[in-house]
Amino acid sequence: MVLLRRAKSFWRFLFRKQKLEAELDRELQAYMAMLVDRHIARGLSIEEAKRAARLEFEGIEQVKEQVREVRVGANFDSSMQDIRYACRALRKSPAFTAIAILTLALGIGVNNAIFSVVYAVLLRPLPYDHPEQLALVWSGFKSATSRAPTSGPALGEILHRNRLLQGVAGIWVGNATFTGDVNPEQVKVAFVTPPFLSLLGVRPLLGRVFSPSQEFATKPELVLSYGLWQRRFGGDPSIVGKGVPFSGTNATVIGVMPQDFQLHFPPDSNVPSEVGVFFPFGNIYNRPRTLYMFRVLARLKPGVTQEQAQADMNSVAAQMRAGYTEFAAENLTMEVAPMQRDAVRDVRTALIALFAGAGFVLLICCVNVANLLLARASDRRKEIAVRSALGATQSRILRQLLIEGLVLCSIAGAVGVAIGWISLRALLSIRPDYLARMPHVGLNWPVLAFVAVVSLAAALLFGLAPGIETVKSDVIGTLREAGRTSQTPARRGIRATLIVGEVTLGFVLVIGAGLMIRTFAKIHEVQPGFEAQHLLTFELDLGKFRPNDRINFVNEWEARLASLPGVESAGGVSHLPLDDYPNWYSPYRPEGLSESDAATLLADHRAITPGYFRSMGTKLLEGRFFDAQDRAGGRQVVIVDDMLARSAWPGQSAVGKKIEAEHFTSKGIVPVWGEVVGVVEHIRNHSLSRKLRGEIYIPFEQTPREHLSFAVRTRMEPLALVEAIRRELHKSDKDLALSKVRPMTNYIERATAPVRFTAVLAGIFAGLALLLAAVGIYGVVSYSISRRMHEMGVRMALGASASDVVRLVMGEGLLLTASGLVLGVAGALIVSRYMHSLIYGISAIDPITYAVAIIVIPSAAILGCWRPASKAASANPVDAIRAE
Amino acid sequence: MAQSSEILQGTLDLLVLRTLELGPMHGLGISDRIKQVTQGVFTVKPGSLFPALYRLEQNGWIEGEWGESENNRKAKFYSLTRAGRAQLGKEKRNWQRQFSAVNRLLEPES
Repeated sequence: MVLLRRAKSFWRFLFRKQKLEAELDRELQAYMAMLVDRHIARGLSIEEAKRAARLEFEGIEQVKEQVREVRVGANFDSSMQDIRYACRALRKSPAFTAIAILTLALGIGVNNAIFSVVYAVLLRPLPYDHPEQLALVWSGFKSATSRAPTSGPALGEILHRNRLLQGVAGIWVGNATFTGDVNPEQVKVAFVTPPFLSLLGVRPLLGRVFSPSQEFATKPELVLSYGLWQRRFGGDPSIVGKGVPFSGTNATVIGVMPQDFQLHFPPDSNVPSEVGVFFPFGNIYNRPRTLYMFRVLARLKPGVTQEQAQADMNSVAAQMRAGYTEFAAENLTMEVAPMQRDAVRDVRTALIALFAGAGFVLLICCVNVANLLLARASDRRKEIAVRSALGATQSRILRQLLIEGLVLCSIAGAVGVAIGWISLRALLSIRPDYLARMPHVGLNWPVLAFVAVVSLAAALLFGLAPGIETVKSDVIGTLREAGRTSQTPARRGIRATLIVGEVTLGFVLVIGAGLMIRTFAKIHEVQPGFEAQHLLTFELDLGKFRPNDRINFVNEWEARLASLPGVESAGGVSHLPLDDYPNWYSPYRPEGLSESDAATLLADHRAITPGYFRSMGTKLLEGRFFDAQDRAGGRQVVIVDDMLARSAWPGQSAVGKKIEAEHFTSKGIVPVWGEVVGVVEHIRNHSLSRKLRGEIYIPFEQTPREHLSFAVRTRMEPLALVEAIRRELHKSDKDLALSKVRPMTNYIERATAPVRFTAVLAGIFAGLALLLAAVGIYGVVSYSISRRMHEMGVRMALGASASDVVRLVMGEGLLLTASGLVLGVAGALIVSRYMHSLIYGISAIDPITYAVAIIVIPSAAILGCWRPASKAASANPVDAIRAE
Repeated sequence: MAQSSEILQGTLDLLVLRTLELGPMHGLGISDRIKQVTQGVFTVKPGSLFPALYRLEQNGWIEGEWGESENNRKAKFYSLTRAGRAQLGKEKRNWQRQFSAVNRLLEPES
């Protein structure tokens, strides 16, 4: 019942407000009239009676306001009023409004852009079935510097011994060639154990995926990616069931994956996001125990936590160590890494750092707007005093101020979304590969929700501070003062604190950006062990040749390449540096070490042609390069890098020593002893910033792998040669295709892209922070000066010179800056500890970076103080005296 | 002036409802009546009276109607509704319970 009545009241309140107000007024007037009547009856004159009644009544307007507040819907009404009032107030000072909105929109926009990336990369669940159950299982060996894939037999052990996994599968991505009537085409192939695709739980667009109950494939079947299906087979809807000539066999297409299907694996797994074909492994259990090629995907049973799965894998590893001497010698361990986290492990820290940086920028924006509002609030003290004299309660005034903040923030939020959208486009244009992988980086509901929350938080942050400050002021005093005031010390205190905080944040940002920019520069200075300029690279898949034909073809092809006009030299290698082709790294044994002592030694293995080092520009440190004498069936020789030479034979010359390394021979993949004939400088195969492990080079003729990349040193722009090379290849062999044709500089760019991305963004943030800090200091100092012009005039009248006044004002600004600087150094020291993994080639407390920041920040402050100082110095003593 | 204009909101509601139990009355009448009956302990000023009246009216416990006062002035007369009567009963019981509880607390232990 009560509810119904109240609803009725609300209805009346919404639509018959005029009438309600008139009635209230009539009623109060009547009450007043009766009071007056009563006083007249007691013998007072009309005037005296009215006065007495007014005193007794305590103000009609105040009573009305109190009645309005108990009305149903009063909150709603006064909020609407506040919003209208806020809009009016903001319109009245367009300059303030524009600056405040722009500042906030900038902060919100930056956060919007970064959060779009953070959400897409770090937070959004992987597009698989129950992605939280998926994990990668990595192996660890005693002396390996990083985690490793596993071998076929070990994968079998995991599969059969685990108790908490629903399924386990292995993947290894390599190349293979489609042959047949259409153009031969080399594609990336994911070789997988059959359960792999069903483990991810993605439904194929057409047909089916490999049967998960099979441990290995018995017949050649393949699943196509959507892209390859469209491109090579014209989207043929009846492709399923057809046979296609593939990698020397005739394979049946059993399915096509959906368009948006991607593989989300960490970079060190060498599993790219897009592959053309999925092809199942045959029996993997009889592969060498030491061939670590399988990246292991596992799905945990429902409800199993990562800790439980880890414990399960620990026990599997323990059983394997107990059961096999080689696992015991390697002290095999296993690590369960949740797939979602693992896929982004390399970019996580950088993104979080950037996100924090964006947060700092927003805080600085809020500080500036809070300062603006504080200044405004003290200009509006009179207005607010009038409002409270007219019956506005304190909470009402506070709410009014807060609503003004909210209105500002809503507008700024909307503008911020626009700025964010634009800057996101810009971000994506300098995107590193890991962003390119993400198909849906952009505005979506979670991102918009984030922006809304951020805007709201910003409003609370800067809206309340001036509010509390204002409400504390007393009504009578303010009204009496009539506006000619200098600042109260308390208000100056708040604003000074805000500025100090701003400088602190700005300093931390500048340090962060400085460290990233220096890191970027350092990485560019790295000598990667080859000369990337004027170097063209491409791949060939030689799987169709028998080993002897392959050797003959490569020899002839290398000679043809080298004799092309514009080519200086040419050479081939099984694995180009910085490529995402799955690495070949295997055990080796230097002469003099027992088998068990050498069991844990791993090195990158590469098969190369004689021209390779020369065309790469790799320096020979000792001995010789391979040449025409290093033939198939001839004396077995190898070249090693200085890193391996030093660790295998410290203090001795490596040349002439024997080493056992893995070879691909007609008898399969077997270890073979060879003599070291040369030592070359280390080539950074995996990362510009790290030397990972030693390298062993074997003549291509002595280990004729099916897949070869070529490096061609050119006298001209590398890409200008592509057509000539393509024609030449067609003349040599119509069935072969060039793929991945790129200048070597492209690999360098891709390797530096993440650092460049971080450095550019950090630089932008630091620049914004500097600008905002300068504007903030300008705002505070110039406001304080504008209130103190009178004082300045008096000072000058009493004999202060213009430079004294400038010094005074500058001193005020610089004192704030100095306090901020001290706090900033402390903050930066804390922050740089977390940046450790992002930094390369410099110390986290890099003196140059700190020196620059310590110079740059006060410069910004001086810039900010300059105008107010010169304005203060221009104060006219006569004006000051005349104003008295 | 009066000793106490600080009346608890609930108490003021009770006083107004009780006063209107005697018959329709306008604002000034109500405040006069309360002052008179409580012998000046409670003076209800317009600033608390009118919000209370509006609150009670919104709850449907009293309703207002325009009429003529003793000396021929237009005034809004409030009267108790059925729901208001029920509410008054409830509040009276409530008050007595609280009153005796507090009294028990204040009595010296015997």
